[in-house]
Amino acid sequence: MPQTALDLDHICRNYGPVVAVDDVSLTVAKGEFVTLLGPSGAGKTSTLRLIGGFESIDSGAIGLNGGRVDHLPPYLRDTATIFQSGALFPHKTVAENVAFGLRMRRIAKADIAVRVAEALAVVRLQGLEDRYPDQLSGGQKQRVALARSMAVRPAILLFDEPLSALDLSLRLQLRSEIKRLHDEIGFSAIYVTHDQGEAMAMSDRVAVMRSGKIEQTDCPETVFNAAANEFIHTFVGETCCLTFRIEGGRGVDPATGTLDLHLAQPLPDGAYRLYLRPSQPSLGQAAQAMPNRVIARLGFVAFLGEKYRHHLMAGPCEIVGDQPGALTAESGADALIGWDSSAMRIFQ
Amino acid sequence: MTGPKRSRLAPWLLLTPAQILAVVFFGVPALYMARMSVNAHAPQSYFTPGFTFENYARLTHDPVIAGAIWNTIWLALIGSAVTIVLAYGFALIVWLKPARWRLWFIGLALLPLLISEIAIIFGWWMVFPRNGLLSVALMSSGLITDKISLTYTEGAALVGQVYITLPYCFFILLSVFDGLDRRVLEAALDLSAPPLTTLYEVLLPQTRAGLLAAFAQAFIWTMGTYATPMALGPDTLWTLGFLIQAQMLGKHHWPMAAALSMVLVVGVALVVLLTRWLQLQQRSFHV
Repeated sequence: MPQTALDLDHICRNYGPVVAVDDVSLTVAKGEFVTLLGPSGAGKTSTLRLIGGFESIDSGAIGLNGGRVDHLPPYLRDTATIFQSGALFPHKTVAENVAFGLRMRRIAKADIAVRVAEALAVVRLQGLEDRYPDQLSGGQKQRVALARSMAVRPAILLFDEPLSALDLSLRLQLRSEIKRLHDEIGFSAIYVTHDQGEAMAMSDRVAVMRSGKIEQTDCPETVFNAAANEFIHTFVGETCCLTFRIEGGRGVDPATGTLDLHLAQPLPDGAYRLYLRPSQPSLGQAAQAMPNRVIARLGFVAFLGEKYRHHLMAGPCEIVGDQPGALTAESGADALIGWDSSAMRIFQ
Repeated sequence: MTGPKRSRLAPWLLLTPAQILAVVFFGVPALYMARMSVNAHAPQSYFTPGFTFENYARLTHDPVIAGAIWNTIWLALIGSAVTIVLAYGFALIVWLKPARWRLWFIGLALLPLLISEIAIIFGWWMVFPRNGLLSVALMSSGLITDKISLTYTEGAALVGQVYITLPYCFFILLSVFDGLDRRVLEAALDLSAPPLTTLYEVLLPQTRAGLLAAFAQAFIWTMGTYATPMALGPDTLWTLGFLIQAQMLGKHHWPMAAALSMVLVVGVALVVLLTRWLQLQQRSFHV
């Protein structure tokens, strides 16, 4: 029987004239990992702070494990936040940091020792119990923060961009570690991030936010492959855009005049934007067999390790195509770009 | 390479200008004062060159002086304690409030520093008497039925002292708060610590050094002042500052004034050393 860990029911929050959180509704099932994804200023962190109780909602309701909590101060809510800065207590040792929440919840002393050791083992920090936070690296600090929050076994863990201050390799490492911990322990979590890679890699579901609203909540595959709107499609994953017009039922590319488009269903006349992911277009000879084609000028080719990234200009529109091998054409030469009809997304 | 040698010398070289200033403007006068305090005294002269510990002997057996030392220490201790409590609360509020309020609060805290101590005393004289602002305000609000006068009470002297030291302590503590991560407070609340526990467990340990610095600042200041306690306190509230002034200007007994000043200097130095030592006790997590 799936139960609800968190239930946001039409919550709103304004700061003066600014609507930070605009009618957000979201449920997180027990054991579910949900990401709030969006550009900065989208209201993700504001939403998280409303759940944690650091800000109060203007309207709506917040339910935690079935009980309403929106009138409660943070210390009476069964949530635990992992802050971007870690926010460890600098005057307490690692073990004291992790024990803090347990002491506050009046857990028996002997149990505290066991749970602190457990939590530190889970984040692989055994042996660092007596260190102070300023004797730890950035990654270790975030592990302590994670252990501190997990040790109290809250109804929901709130992650506030915990990895964004770390460098890339550490970020990737901790990302998979959080994923592993979630799979092992099965905590419920809301994870705020602007990094769509993080959102895709860790989440059961992704809620994409913009301007204080949730625009789509779905599993990562659906958000990536069937975005609800143009904003989400361009925000989640890399895209390149080709502008064109439909005139008399046919696609026309006014810049190059070479567009050959096969639409599954006819579109009314007007201006449109067509989006392709870098992995989708076929270039050169391989493009001949594709139902949709356009001729573009080859700009430059960048070697990315396992693939070559081709930058091509179709009039004013830059198309990016990845291929395992580089095109032999000279820079400035015309090259054919082709793609499958299922690969493209078209928005008016 | 000359690196290590130079890097050991460099801090001292950089400190030299400040040290020269300290020696010229503090060290030399202090030595002069120490010398003066062992001079003898005869009527009709400020001092008679000589070498005697008579002035220091008087410190211990003259009840007026012993009482003044006691008064000074108590006033300074209570005044400083009250000051740092108020300054801590005020600085905490300013730190926690949105930034747009900050400038107003800081302006408010700066205002008393723009007015001379004497003008502030005149201000208090309008507040404390029977027909003063405080009495009238309390009467009209119905809190008291008879007019009250606080002029020339120890309470008034204390209020006057606190008013003067409050801005300094406020700015010291605000700068300490500004160095903290506000998220750490939220983390404590988030981990089920109620506000008072958060204050005790998280905020106070992190601001201990700043509190001690603010306390030392207030204590040093209140030990030395004489105008405010003299003008607002009772006639019997003699402080060291008042006695020094009386010996120096009233009785023209410079050696005695110097001996009393040495008591102040040593007392203040002891307090500074003590707070410094207490601050060093918790440096471990700052390294």
